[in-house]
Amino acid sequence: MYKILSEETDKSGMKVLNIDKSDLVELMEEYKGKGYYLSSITGVDMKDHLDVIYHIHNFDKNDYICVKISTSDEKVPSLTKLWKAADWDEREQYDLMGIIFEGHENLKRILLPEEWAGHPLRKDYDLKKVQYVSMDRSGNEHVSFDETEGW
Amino acid sequence: MSHWIELNVGPVHPSTHGIYRFRVKLNEETVEDVDITIGYLHRNAEKICELSYFVNNIIYFDRMDYIDAMNMELAYLRAVETLMDMEVPERAQWIRMIMAELSRIAARMVGIGAVGLDLGMLTPFFHTFHEREKIQKIFTEASGGRQEVNYMSIGGVYQDFNEKIINEIREFISQFKGKLEEMVKMLLDSEIFWQRNEGIGILEPEVALDYGVTGPMLRASGIGYDIRKDSPYLFYDKVDFEVPVAKTKDNLGRFLVKVEELRQSIRIIEQCLAKLPDGPYFNPKAKKSAMLLLKGQGDVFTRVESESGEFGVFIRGDGGVKPYRVHARSPSFKNLAVVPEMTRGVLIADLIATIASVDAVAGEVDR
Repeated sequence: MYKILSEETDKSGMKVLNIDKSDLVELMEEYKGKGYYLSSITGVDMKDHLDVIYHIHNFDKNDYICVKISTSDEKVPSLTKLWKAADWDEREQYDLMGIIFEGHENLKRILLPEEWAGHPLRKDYDLKKVQYVSMDRSGNEHVSFDETEGW
Repeated sequence: MSHWIELNVGPVHPSTHGIYRFRVKLNEETVEDVDITIGYLHRNAEKICELSYFVNNIIYFDRMDYIDAMNMELAYLRAVETLMDMEVPERAQWIRMIMAELSRIAARMVGIGAVGLDLGMLTPFFHTFHEREKIQKIFTEASGGRQEVNYMSIGGVYQDFNEKIINEIREFISQFKGKLEEMVKMLLDSEIFWQRNEGIGILEPEVALDYGVTGPMLRASGIGYDIRKDSPYLFYDKVDFEVPVAKTKDNLGRFLVKVEELRQSIRIIEQCLAKLPDGPYFNPKAKKSAMLLLKGQGDVFTRVESESGEFGVFIRGDGGVKPYRVHARSPSFKNLAVVPEMTRGVLIADLIATIASVDAVAGEVDR
């Protein structure tokens, strides 16, 4: 049985549930049974840990709920078994934020090239490092960068 | 004996309306599977937003769904104003509503024109773009920008409506009604249009919900959910309009829903113009000299109904003058992800028609 650590209302009037990441799949399964669908996944880099925020939506009741978990080791369980929408959303958060969704079958970068170094939305990402992207004849992208150059 | 071919469509292909790439697995002329590669227009607006002041970020949202810039601004500003507890004067809210609906019409003009274009009908495209040009003239009059307008601002709008703008909008609406029917007839009279759209690209409602599809695509699958109606923002609860729903679930349904929404948008604008009150057009708390000092703390997630669906913006503020994290829930991103489900077993030419009916905007997919 899952445990809700705390419940609050955010500024936009939405119900927020704070839970432990080990309870995530169980809680989401219950909400899926109640007719909720995944709307959005957001990762936030809090420097010492990562917050992962899920927004779920019930079209019949017209109800939005926000579920928040935090992780200190970059790993959270994947929701791809529950909703197909989680597939691309989790790949995006993996790509830009570096969150590893355990159980995702195709966890690779979606917006940036596969060889890209670093996750841009991290607060410690080096914006000065320039990475060059090129494409070969079969459409594969390659990334190269010069350690000494920057802007 | 089955015979596999992998066909590459894009990244720079007219039917992709921007840049994304489809790798289509073909069995003779039948599509077996589609693999979508995105990211060619990725600028990481979310990171750029973290680096600049709240008010400066409006322009990055303009460039997400670049054909529907007003709704993008509105989505961002709704979140920012909720975060800052900023009141928006009544007149500014009505003005925003008029502009959002005009922008929706302008965006749909691209979408509807492109449906014809992808089927080899060039004429409707010129007609729709002619109408779009008129809206862009109104935008130029109001904001100085044609497409990426940067018109709305925290606590109001950049410039008040004057008589000239209102007259231009009235003039546009009065001639647009007839023009729209003419354009729709032009498409519906074509045999090719019916062959490529009727019963093609079926999207079942359960699949749509599972993938997070919203907007006209969801309404064409029989689920009549529209944020403007179901959780109204601005003054959408004070105007009278209907949410069209199609039960056909195919390309034709999506086209007809979009057309009907245009008629409803016209109705909304007419009512807005009639109800437009006098008063200030911005909140004095957000006057220009103090704009950069506005601070926000806490989490917000707000949504608007953009041209392609439910556009949500998540902002976390840490009490500073810049947002700590901005995330955009992009409807085109979700709508595009469902394309492989819709196109299994259709002909390659129908795939192009289906992509046109999905009408995902690359700038919004990649952000």
